[in-house]
Amino acid sequence: MISDGEIDLVEILGSSIKPDAGAVVAFVGVVRADPGVMGLEVEAYEEAALEELRRIKEEAIARFGVSSVDVVHRTGRLSLGEVIVVVVCGSSHRREAFQACEYVIDELKRRVPIWKKEQTEEGERWVRGDAC
Amino acid sequence: MRIKIRAFAGFREILGKEMIVEIGSGSKVADLINHLCEIKPELRGALFSDAGELRDYFMIMLNRRRLDLPEDLNADLSDNDEVAIFPPVAGG
Repeated sequence: MISDGEIDLVEILGSSIKPDAGAVVAFVGVVRADPGVMGLEVEAYEEAALEELRRIKEEAIARFGVSSVDVVHRTGRLSLGEVIVVVVCGSSHRREAFQACEYVIDELKRRVPIWKKEQTEEGERWVRGDAC
Repeated sequence: MRIKIRAFAGFREILGKEMIVEIGSGSKVADLINHLCEIKPELRGALFSDAGELRDYFMIMLNRRRLDLPEDLNADLSDNDEVAIFPPVAGG
C-alpha cells in the first residue's frame, strides 16, 4: 500500500496478529536526521509500485512460507523522525518471519519505483539510487 | 498515434509529470526518445553522454514493464501505450 497520510503502526501491527502466526516481525523505516537534512519528499510511480510490491509479497510467501506480508510506504512531505515504510511479516515461527521481512525491505529498496528528495539547508537534492 | 508519457523524480522536473505526445504509427521507443529530446532539449543531456552514448542512469517502463536498454530501444509502440522514464529507484 502507498499512503500519503501518516502510517498507523498500531493498526498495521494489530491486523497481523492472528492465532495462526506465532511470530510477527516488523521493519520500520524512519526519516533519519542526517547532517543538514531537514525533511524528505517521497514520490512513487504508484501503479507500478503496487504491482512490484505485490510480486515481492508473493515471492516472500513462496520462499519463506510466511502467512502474511504487509507493506505500507509513505509518499509526500515527511519530517525527520517520521515513519517512511513499514513491513510486517507473520509466520508460524520467528526465523521465517525475520527472513521474509529482510527480503521484502531489501527487494523494495532495489525494485519498487519510489524516489526520495532531501530538503537540506543548502536546497533540495534527489537521493541517488543504485545504478541500473 | 498517442503515447502517454509519465516521468518521475529528476525526469519529472524536465518533462513534467504526465503528457500525451503524438508520434507516427510504426514508431519505436528510440523514435519516441528522439521526439521527447526535440520537445525538451534538456532531456538529451540526461539520457545521453556528450559522446552521444546512452547513459545507464535511467530506466524506461513500457506499460509498466521495465525495458532492457539499449536492446529494447527497438521495441514497437502502439496507440495508447504508457511510457515511464525515471532514475534508479531509491525508496525505503
